[in-house]
This record gives sequence, structure tokens and C-alpha cells, in this order.
Amino acid sequence: MTGRSSQMQSKAEQPALKLKPAYWGILLTCVVAVLVLSPLGLLAYQSLLSAPFFAPIKQVSLDAYRYVLTDPAFYRALFNSFVIALGMVGIAVPAGTALAFLVNKTDLPFRKGFELLLLTPTFVSPIILGIGFTMVFGPVGLVSNPVRDLFGTVPWTIYSLPAIAIIAGLLHVPYVYLYVSSTIRNLDASLEEAARVSGAGIWTVAMSVTIPLVRPSVVYSAMLMLLLGFEIFGLPLVLGDSKGIDVITTYLYRLTGITGVPAYGPMAVVAVLLIAVALLIVALQRKILGNTGNKYTSVGAKGYRSARLKLGKARWWIAAAVMVYLLVTVLLPVFGVILRSFVTSWGAGVNLLDVLTLKNYQAIFTLPDLSRGVTNTLLVASVGGFIAVGVYLTIASGILRSTPFLRKVLDYLSGLPRSVPGLIIGLAFMWLFLFVKPIGFLRTTLFSLILAYTIVWMPYGVRLLTATLMQISKDLEEAARMTGASPLKAFQSITLPLLQSGLLSAWLLLFMQFVREYSTGVYLLTPGTEVMGSLIVSLWATGAVDSIAALSTLQIGIIGVVYILANRLGVKAGE
Amino acid sequence: MQKFVSVTLALLFAAPALAQVPKGYPASYQKTIDEARKEKKLVVYSSTDQASAQFLIDDFKTLYPFIEVEYNDIGTTQLYSRFISEAAAGGKSADFVWSSGMELQVKLAADGYALPYTSPEAKFYPASSKLDNILYGTTMEPGVLVYNKRFVKKPPTTRQEFAKLLADPKMNGKVATWDPEKSGIGFTFLHQDSVTVGSIMDLFKAFGKSGTAQYSSSGVMMEKVISGEHHFGYNVIGSYALLRAEKVPDIGVAFFKDKTVAFQRPAFISKLGEHPNAAKLFLDYLLSTRGQNVMANKSLIYALRSGTTGPAVPKNIYGKIGGKQNLYVIPVSRDLLKNLEPAVRNDFLNDWRTALKGQ
Repeated sequence: MTGRSSQMQSKAEQPALKLKPAYWGILLTCVVAVLVLSPLGLLAYQSLLSAPFFAPIKQVSLDAYRYVLTDPAFYRALFNSFVIALGMVGIAVPAGTALAFLVNKTDLPFRKGFELLLLTPTFVSPIILGIGFTMVFGPVGLVSNPVRDLFGTVPWTIYSLPAIAIIAGLLHVPYVYLYVSSTIRNLDASLEEAARVSGAGIWTVAMSVTIPLVRPSVVYSAMLMLLLGFEIFGLPLVLGDSKGIDVITTYLYRLTGITGVPAYGPMAVVAVLLIAVALLIVALQRKILGNTGNKYTSVGAKGYRSARLKLGKARWWIAAAVMVYLLVTVLLPVFGVILRSFVTSWGAGVNLLDVLTLKNYQAIFTLPDLSRGVTNTLLVASVGGFIAVGVYLTIASGILRSTPFLRKVLDYLSGLPRSVPGLIIGLAFMWLFLFVKPIGFLRTTLFSLILAYTIVWMPYGVRLLTATLMQISKDLEEAARMTGASPLKAFQSITLPLLQSGLLSAWLLLFMQFVREYSTGVYLLTPGTEVMGSLIVSLWATGAVDSIAALSTLQIGIIGVVYILANRLGVKAGE
Repeated sequence: MQKFVSVTLALLFAAPALAQVPKGYPASYQKTIDEARKEKKLVVYSSTDQASAQFLIDDFKTLYPFIEVEYNDIGTTQLYSRFISEAAAGGKSADFVWSSGMELQVKLAADGYALPYTSPEAKFYPASSKLDNILYGTTMEPGVLVYNKRFVKKPPTTRQEFAKLLADPKMNGKVATWDPEKSGIGFTFLHQDSVTVGSIMDLFKAFGKSGTAQYSSSGVMMEKVISGEHHFGYNVIGSYALLRAEKVPDIGVAFFKDKTVAFQRPAFISKLGEHPNAAKLFLDYLLSTRGQNVMANKSLIYALRSGTTGPAVPKNIYGKIGGKQNLYVIPVSRDLLKNLEPAVRNDFLNDWRTALKGQ
């Protein structure tokens, strides 16, 4: 092990320093393995049983696999998930990358405002965005109605597989944007300037200098899109329900509906198959990126500030195109949701002024669990987000700085959790808290949610921090250690400050994900640990779309305020 | 003397908080109240919307202010999962389980999780609302036809009329109903229709021909009827429809005269609870005239007890469907366990799919 790791380390290093990181890496890998594999392993075990794992009478059996693998509905759902995942990769990756380049590297007008708006879809629950899309572009939507009046027909539908794939793609643009732009921001701009000075056009600079430099984050985000594509739930639930368009995650409803009682075996089988898909995706990612030790480092000991690239006349056209995108994917649907929260009904033939109301908000505030829901959500998101950043940073540095074998193991482990639908993994967590007695006391505390969320969002967070960390050259840290600093001290005084803006944006992103996360918490919800996302799910079942819209508007407001505040702080911290 | 005064004063001040044995209850009931006072708490697992349930909880607390109610609003399937998992883990669980998933409730009670208890209110309920002394029906909630008044002036009153209406090409895609493959309640309603309503297959076929949209949640169904995307929502849970119609003037609620099917929301006291006496008080309260009146007037979940008055009572439905005989209330009975047998489910689902294909 020492021999292998020494190949990775700089020659200047002292031999005594080598052992420590290796032990540290093993310990880290073990901890991550326990965290990730306990819920997933439980599901794998359940998939092989004829009855619930806790039932007194059960047998090892492949019946559940037989059931799922011979069910035509499963293959339809799998195919639909695949189409949606491809749509997300095909739309979100190029568009997100282009936007990241435009906003961070060029003199695009209104770029600050664009960035603010761009992020909206990441903090609105997909169920809500689905409702928003229905309100605006649905058969009787706010846009569809005038179009029908004008042309006699509405030339689109949002209740079809291609439509869901396109909408999912558009809504995931911000995720790619964030990954790529956190990398772009830290790039050494002298390379781009050199290209520009030597006469290259903006397009050439982007394609031949910037994009190759951010390739790891583009690949990571593409892989994340694939992962999220198979996990996507809220959007197909809302847009695909009426036409019976199932994806893997909504197929789970069908499993239980058909048996009448929760079909744990087949549900676990679906989870195992999704884990297999995730493993494939991680393998694919490793193959594409290879062993990127320090190939992509570009924040070195050099300055990296530079003037923005001039877009010239094209800037207004590009700005207009971005505006149309934002209008269609963000502004109109979010406007739809907010509007919905202030009316009792809507649709063709309704004068919205007649149906304006504040009752939806009143109704919410009469529920005793709501105020708790808001404070709990803020707590889980801020404290949990902070803890999660720490955990992911540790894992990311483990991935980048330990032996090739451990790196591989960590890569695979951290890529798995989000592949399993939130509802199922939430169930697995409930089981763990119930059946592993020493941690049982956590079940009714917010820590259970924080733990579950941290594990569930691991693929997202670790990739985010790996992309950021990858850019910090190890040379600097090693230089510090040559002068006698301990590894921790070197990390603290050199790498951490360079990471600051990356960490802040990671915290912010996790904050948003944790605020809107909904399905994972459903089984962990107890009086006192309500969170807004899971409240929305429980309201969904009985049908209070009014309250859901009001809750979501509050959710949008909260995150909007926090985001703007943090953005302000972040700008200052970076100066 | 001083002692006497202070004791009297203490009693006087304590009096309003002193829960009394309800009228007609045996005197021994005081013991249950006293025990519940010691228990201090009641943990409820329920699929009833918290907004509706809150009225009941608040009123219950005016009777028994010393009981803190911990109300868990969870979906029927999740509720079942959580309960059996907690049972298997050997831990404590809810004191009181109240869910609209009838089959699942019967299964839990029949599997031995319910504490036998003969409620003093039980005698006011028919045999079809009780499973021995372990499970009690508390409501009577009809499947209704929700419609949008902006588009529909006169809703159909029989399945045949409805099927005829759907033959009009203009009605294409204008109806919403459950997807019985995805929703437990949807299965219960549609399956019961297939057993109870003579001409139902014609309607199911009409659904198929007119491209009826199928949903897994009653919320979306109603939302889309409100917006006018669909004009009708078939077999929507009557209680939720009534609640929405109160707020949204565009929503109309209609009933079928050729049998309207209703489910009961069964409740049981759990053997796994730590507060069985508080649970007894709550069960008795739900079944009492007082509790049923709150259901009928505030919660708007249809009361089950005869003699209850208010907007959400069976009597109001009888008039609309041409008499009591046209209402079929699914009994709380072990027969419901058959609905969980794969053969029964598959048979119905196959019929349903075939009908929807127009065959």
C-alpha cells in the first residue's frame, strides 16, 4: 500500500507522512461503506426474501425478481426512465454548460439576474413545478387558452413521454450550470486571455480552452443527470399520471396497488436494479475520466482574475434567448404556482380577479404542524447542509488523495445512494432506526432526517465537492507541508481558503436540496419532526392543492431570501 | 376550617377540568378516565387530513384537556408499513389507528394488533360497522361524481346516463377517475362498483372509448376538474369533494341513483400503544353523537351515526339518490380480506383493463 501510494505522491514528500493518509483513507472508506451499505444492503437482503425481512416466517426466494422481471409494466417504466434520463443529459448538459460559460466568462447583459432566476428550479419541489407547468402549458393553461383562442388549437401537450423528457431536461439545466460554473469560476483565465489575444473568437475560446478545462465537471454532471433521470419522481407523477406514463419510481405505486399490501420484495428488487444502473453509471464515469490525478488542476499559485470576454453584438441576442428559456421554464411555471396559492379556482372561463383569496394561507397557518415544519426545515437545511458539506468534503478529498483502490471504492460507494427512490430509501432508514436498537433513539429527532438526507444526496454533494477540489493543485498544499506544516494545517491554511467560494456554493445548493427534499422524509415524519417537503407529500394524497401551492410559495420565498443573502455574503467572501 | 376552604376551593377550580362520565356510560367509566389522566397522552396514526381531524382533536381536548394528542397524518400504505414494522421491531407504536384503507385496517385488526374493547357507543351502530369488538367504522363516505359547474349544467344520475353522455366525441378526455392499479381506495371503490352496480361495465367501456384519465390521487383529480381540464371526476371521495365544494363555487357534487358506494373509515385501539385508556376515550368520542356531529358539521367527513344532523350526514344523501336502499355501505368485515387475495385483485384488474380497451 505504501509503495502504491508513494507513486501518487510528490517525490519531495517525507516517507513518514505517507502512512497516515493511507490509514485515514481506510477508516474513511469503512465509515462511508457502513453509512451507504446499511440501507442499501437491507434492501438487497429484502429483495431475496419471500416475506418482509422482519416476518417470523420467510424464505430465501427469487420470486420477487421473477415477478418484476416478467412484468411488462416494469419494462415500460424502465424504458420511460431511460428516455427521460437521456433527455436530461441531452438538454441539461449542453445548455447548462453554455450558460455557465456565458454568465461567468463573458459580458452577457443581466448575468447576475439570470443567475438568480436560473437557480429557481433547484429549490422548488418538482411536484410543484409540475403543477406550475400544468397551470401554464396544460390543456387549459394560462398560455394554452389564449393560444387556442388565437389558432383554434393548442399545438403541444405536456402529458406525453417526450414532453416530460424535455421538461425534465430544461428543469435540470441549473444543476449542470452550478457544477460547471463553480469550476469555471476558479479557472486560470490567463489561458483564455492568451487565446483571445492571439485572435481566437469567443466560440473558439469556449470550445478549445474553457470546455476542455472543465471537462471533468461536465462529465460528472452528465453522470449525475443520468442518475437523477432514473430517480426522478415528482414530475412524472404529476405529468404522467393521467395517461399512465410510469417511470421506475412511480411504478412502485403500481406494485403496491396491484397486491393491495406493500410489496416489499418487488420494491426492493426495483431498488437493487436501480443500484445496478447506478454502478454502471459510475463505472462509465470512471472510464471516461480515467484516473484524473491532477490532470485538470488549474488553480495554481497564479492569479486568476481577468477581464470578461466580449460577446460583441451577439450579446443581446444571446440574452434574449436566455430570457425566453427562463420565461418558459422558470418564470411562468413559478408564477403559476404563486398565482395558484392566491386563488380558489382557475382555468377556462374563470375571471381570476373573482376568485382571489388569502384563505389558502390562512388554512395553512391553522395547522399546528406547519410552523414547526418551517423551523424544522430551516434547521435541517442549514445545520444538515453544513454537516453534509463537511462529510462530502472529507469523502471528496478521500477520493482525490487516497490510494487508487480506495479511491475506486469510495467513488462507487458515494455514487450509489441517490439511485434508490427517496420513498424506498426512507423506508429502509425507518427500518434501520427501528431494528438497530443503539440508534433507535434518533428516529424521532431531526438528526434522523439529517442523516438520511446526507446519505441520499451523497452522489450530488461528493461530485460537487470533487469538482471543486480537483482544481486546487496539490502543489500548494505540498509546498506548505515541505515547510513543516502538518497535513491538517496545510489543508486548513492553503486548500480551505481557496475552496471557500466552492464550499459556500455547495452549502447553498445542499441547503436548497434539503429544503425541498420530500420523499425521503415521509417515513421519518413524526410529530415534532415535520418538514415542509414531506408535509407537501402528505397533503398531496388528500388533494389540498390550495395548501400545497401556498406551502410551496412560502418555500420559494424562504429559499429565495436565503439565497440572495448568501449570494451577497458569498460575493463579499470571495473578494 | 382553613383546610376545608382550601380543599373546596381547589375542587372548585379543578371542576371545569374534571372530565365527567358521559351520559349513559357505566359509572365504571370513571376508572378509564382516571387511567387516561395518568397516561396524559394519545398517539394517533391516521390517514385523515389533519385539517379535517383538527376540529375533532380540538373538541376532544375540551372534554379531556389533560390528554395531549400526538396526531400523525400519514398515507394509508405508509401507515400500514410503519405500524407493522414497529410491531415487528418489538417497540411501541400508535395507541389509536384510524385509516380509510379499509382492507388494510381489517387485516391489522384480524392479524391480532387490535385491543378488544366494547365501546359504550357500539350499540348505536349496526353490525355492518363493527368487526367483533376490535374494529369500528366511524364514517360513511360515498364515492361521488364531482363536476365543473362552468361546463356541466345537469350532471347524470345513473351510470347509463353517464355512459351515454360520454359517447359524445366532445367528451373525449373530459373524465377523470382512479387508477385502481395505483390507488388502494381507487381499487376499493371501482371493484365494489363492479360487484354492486349492474351496468357498470358499460360505463367502464365508455371510459375507455372517451380516453378517461386515470389518477393515483384524488387531489389531482379535483384540481383538474376545478380547472376545467376535466369536466367530471368519477368516484372521488365524498368528504374531500364536499370540503372543496365549500371553498370552490365551481365545483358540483352529484350522486348516482343506481347505487352509490360508500366506505367506512375504520378505527381500532392498538395493542402496541402505551396509552390504551386515552385511546378508549378517543374511540368513544369519535363514535359519540358529539364527535359525529363535529364530523358532520366541521370536519365534513360524512358521519355514520343515525340521528346526526349537518351537511355531511347519510340522510342528506338518501334524498339525492332516491332512498336509503340505493346506498351501499361497504361493511367492516373479514370479507374485505378477500380483496387482498391476488386472484381477486387480478380478476378485477383484468376486467378493468379489458373494458378500458373497449372490449
